[in-house]
Amino acid sequence: MSTAVKNQLRVCFLSLKYNLMREMVNKVTFLTNVLFMVLNNASILVQWFILFALREDVGGYTLREILLLWGLTAASFGLAHILFARAFSLSELIIKGKLDSFLVQPKNVLVSVITSATDVSAIGDLLYGIALVCFCRPGVGGFFLFFLFTVTGAAVFTAFALLLGSLSFWFVRMDLLQNQMVMSAVSFATYPDGIFNGISRFLLYFIIPVGMAVWHPVHLIGRFDFGMFLTLLGYVCLLLSAAAVVFYRGLRRYAPGSLMEARL
Amino acid sequence: MQAIRVENLSKTFRVKRKEKGMRGSIQAILHPRTEEIRAVKGVSFAVEEGEMLAFIGPNGAGKSTTIKMLTGILYPDGGHVEVMGIDPTKKRRQLAYQIGTVFGQKEQLWTHLTPYDNFRFFGAIYDLSEQETEARIADLSERFALKDFVDTPVRNLSLGQRIRCEIVASLIHKPKVLFLDEPTIGLDPVVKENVRELIKQMNREEHTTVFLTSHDVGDIEKLCRRIIIVNEGHIVLDDSVEHLTHHYLDQRPADIPMHEKAAEKEAAPAISLEEIIVDIYKGKEEG
Repeated sequence: MSTAVKNQLRVCFLSLKYNLMREMVNKVTFLTNVLFMVLNNASILVQWFILFALREDVGGYTLREILLLWGLTAASFGLAHILFARAFSLSELIIKGKLDSFLVQPKNVLVSVITSATDVSAIGDLLYGIALVCFCRPGVGGFFLFFLFTVTGAAVFTAFALLLGSLSFWFVRMDLLQNQMVMSAVSFATYPDGIFNGISRFLLYFIIPVGMAVWHPVHLIGRFDFGMFLTLLGYVCLLLSAAAVVFYRGLRRYAPGSLMEARL
Repeated sequence: MQAIRVENLSKTFRVKRKEKGMRGSIQAILHPRTEEIRAVKGVSFAVEEGEMLAFIGPNGAGKSTTIKMLTGILYPDGGHVEVMGIDPTKKRRQLAYQIGTVFGQKEQLWTHLTPYDNFRFFGAIYDLSEQETEARIADLSERFALKDFVDTPVRNLSLGQRIRCEIVASLIHKPKVLFLDEPTIGLDPVVKENVRELIKQMNREEHTTVFLTSHDVGDIEKLCRRIIIVNEGHIVLDDSVEHLTHHYLDQRPADIPMHEKAAEKEAAPAISLEEIIVDIYKGKEEG
């Protein structure tokens, strides 16, 4: 590993550590944030238990696959928000001209920006996702794939948020679109892909990347196919590269503001 | 050697325009109108290594835009910039090791952390080893008298203590050039004096080049030998502070008769730098 990469990782690790330290200053808020996120997620699953009491499958998914789907969505979304929370509020940073301090540091701007904040409640999402997959008992190979696809899913969600957020370099108020699109991606990800057909299915694979973030990996955990696995990895690399290119193109248009702000 | 070299630097912003009221908002959606604002218009100057330069101007004159192009935050539309021989648009990361920045209106420190933890974080950002960082923190804490509050969270510090910490954080990697954008804003006179003394000391001991923007004339008088005044994107004056204060009245426009100049000089022999600066700002506006 090159020295530059090591140094960048050292800064990312410190950033994560200091963000967690900030959140843990108030222990009660920290623990209730995590706990209520788990409870919030669990409460929504109740409807699926009721539905599967009435019929055996929904959109080709059994209850076990639905739990896996929820587990992977929660874990991917959680991991992305623990490590790369700023990617999801990138629009706001650009609009308010808050990238200055990152631009005067001798580090990769994109990596420094997206790792500069942590969403504590996302720890609840990650724990909830792991608990669900434990409930499904997918075996050692299944667990390994689950953790691998949690990473690829987090990469897809982060890249998607980055792409949308970077549009703020060109258009105003893209923060609204960024939030809505990311949240709609997460909402769609909790339904089986079998219920979507035609254009909606196309959109959910190629415009809102739910298919490659969650559905495709769930199928791979159920029935592994090396070719499809490589397709997934290629897609993730392509999406990440596209997000980075759009961000750096936009950065040339960055116009910082003169607001009096503190780094909080 | 020149620490900063700027040639014909320019920057234009495109700003949206809309008529007032709801009707204007609807029109702006249907027929968006933009206007070009030329913030910096062909600015050229050079700063020698170890020099302390005041780069000032009224609000909206283009000084912050210039400083941001020098530090690699903004891309210029035209011209050429070199800081310590490095072009910020091509080698931003390499340049970052050579410069330090303090933006008085924008906090760079993490407010929930202590200054000590902040300095360690900045040490990591500039690839200093643990030992190097510790040694530098100890040295700067001593020189900037931070020992009493180096372990207190930044949010609990007074503004003066915080600014001293901001300056120390920007010096952790021994930068060759320090950009100070209104570093004494909001400070009381005693703390201002203290901060100025520390900047002077750092310039003297580490031969750091200082590029200062400030609306506080005291900062300029106490720190800088040379002053550049910008207005409406142009440089309107580049002179030594001493020469300017002693010969300003002699340099006023030719349409003011000599006997009037002499009378003014006699009536107000100790014209202050602040009055001169206001006069130059106003002169430009009227012109």
